[in-house]
Amino acid sequence: MNTQLKDGGSALSKTLKQNLPLLLMFAPVAAYFLIFKYAPMVGLVIAFKQYGLADGIWGSPWTGLDNFNLLFSNPQMVNIIRNTLVLSLLKIIVGFPFPIMLALLLNEVKALWFKRVTQTLVYMPHFLNWVIIGGMVITLFSLESGMINQVLEQLVGYRYAFLYNEWSWISVFLGSGIWKEAGFSAIIYLAAITAIDPGLYESAALDGASKWRMMWHITLPGIRPTVIILLILSMESVMDLGFDQIYMLQNRVVNNIADVIPTYMYRMGIQGGQFSLTTAMGLFSSLVGLILIVTSNQIAKKFNQSLW
Amino acid sequence: MRETIGNRIFYVCNYALLTLAGLICLLPLLNVLALSLSEPAAVLAGKVTIIPIALQLDSYAQLMTGTSVVRSFYNSLVITLVGTCLCMLATILAAYPLSKRYFVARKFLTLAIVFTMIFNGGLIPSYLVIKSLGLINDYGALWLPALVSAYNMLILKTFFEGIPEELIDASRMDGCGELRLLTRIVLPLSGPVLATLTLFYGVGFWNSFMNVLIYINSSDKMNLTVMVQQMISSQMLETLSLRQDEVEQLTTPEGLKAAAIMILIMPMLVVYPFVQRFFVKGVMIGAIKG
Repeated sequence: MNTQLKDGGSALSKTLKQNLPLLLMFAPVAAYFLIFKYAPMVGLVIAFKQYGLADGIWGSPWTGLDNFNLLFSNPQMVNIIRNTLVLSLLKIIVGFPFPIMLALLLNEVKALWFKRVTQTLVYMPHFLNWVIIGGMVITLFSLESGMINQVLEQLVGYRYAFLYNEWSWISVFLGSGIWKEAGFSAIIYLAAITAIDPGLYESAALDGASKWRMMWHITLPGIRPTVIILLILSMESVMDLGFDQIYMLQNRVVNNIADVIPTYMYRMGIQGGQFSLTTAMGLFSSLVGLILIVTSNQIAKKFNQSLW
Repeated sequence: MRETIGNRIFYVCNYALLTLAGLICLLPLLNVLALSLSEPAAVLAGKVTIIPIALQLDSYAQLMTGTSVVRSFYNSLVITLVGTCLCMLATILAAYPLSKRYFVARKFLTLAIVFTMIFNGGLIPSYLVIKSLGLINDYGALWLPALVSAYNMLILKTFFEGIPEELIDASRMDGCGELRLLTRIVLPLSGPVLATLTLFYGVGFWNSFMNVLIYINSSDKMNLTVMVQQMISSQMLETLSLRQDEVEQLTTPEGLKAAAIMILIMPMLVVYPFVQRFFVKGVMIGAIKG
């Protein structure tokens, strides 16, 4: 076990000497992950208990699957789960072409100043938070004074309450999400496009291929691995829709389709104090997220493009 | 060689679509800016589009004096600056050891960190942990749980692994310990990536909403984001602009709302042009290697 090295020291003590400073460096990080990431996982047990403030996590009585039964037998709860799934999937499906299109368009721009200006404009919304964007959306689409409705009135003669009708609300929801993220996500696709061998384009040009052809046969297949990996990664966010956007855009009228798991957990859990019930919901959604990401990775394996 | 007709059309479509995309990103901002600078009559009549009508700064003046935006702005600054420093420090301390091949349990630890990206305890258990640490209504509740973003850490780790071995071996022969190696050699070489991650953390902290909503209770500790949201959703702006003692109405709730949004965006817009050149490079490095 303790092999002797040429200079007389042992392999074991060399490893120790090498690793000690690294271990010291990593120690606070390890503490962080244990306390703030893994300890809460232990707290998930309260999904199977009836948590009471006085009893704490360990003192609270076990109730088995009661919380889950309560959740799934309540039609409002099922509604919330349905909304979460529908809105997330719509977001992914409707949203994923736009960054790709943007990247393709930006890649072909020859005038550097135009590229710079457009990129600046298009990346910017990513850095704005949902209070800003939500506020802008509410202002823009407002019935009385919103810019969209003014233009609409001039064109067709009447105004429309975009945020108070279900389908238009969903469109605004999806649109604002795309507005925020399409530009920034395009960067990743741009990076992938630059990694494509330029020789392919040259030989295609020699064969007389048009720009459209080149895009279809070279560029798109070239970024296919990136698209698949990003799609897999986005599976993880299906249940964890993102609190901020919904919270800002929600209102009483569209609650039937706009109430989702994160807002429910905030309302019932933090504000309402129903810890056990909301933890049960949280556990359920985390598990679904885990299953989704593993499954989509397995599917991608069939196409030889998996994350692990 | 002249471009074919097909290619010409391609380029026209290209530029047209991109111009459209750029405008879509620009116009809403101009609209909000215009609303914040226009006179009440025009705002109420719904006449303001992207150019202010009858320029006035009253909306901003009323906001500054009548609400606690200045205090919240300062809070946001503190939260952002301290948080970003702590996070960068922690992320470097995490990425550096994990990038060394001879680090014990390297694979296991990396896996343990990646696992937290796809599964976590959820909102309530995290809340309970923070409560038990006595961090409710303390800024620690904002900084500590977010110390190391697994995603950012992976980007940094990959970058560290890409640093040529020769450089490291050469300094080791000169008797460099790990700490010296980190500070004198590795970090100076990591400029773009460090700048990018600093930007990501900084923006994240400035924009914190849900965390502050949940963990911060006293209104004088709130950050600007939550403050503006509360202004938008409550009646605060109505009472502010429709004061009884004013003979003439100087502002409207809509105008005040727009001004509040502008105050929230302003720092971002100021910093953004300077950092833009950094992060594109940084994200590309992360994207290619990741």
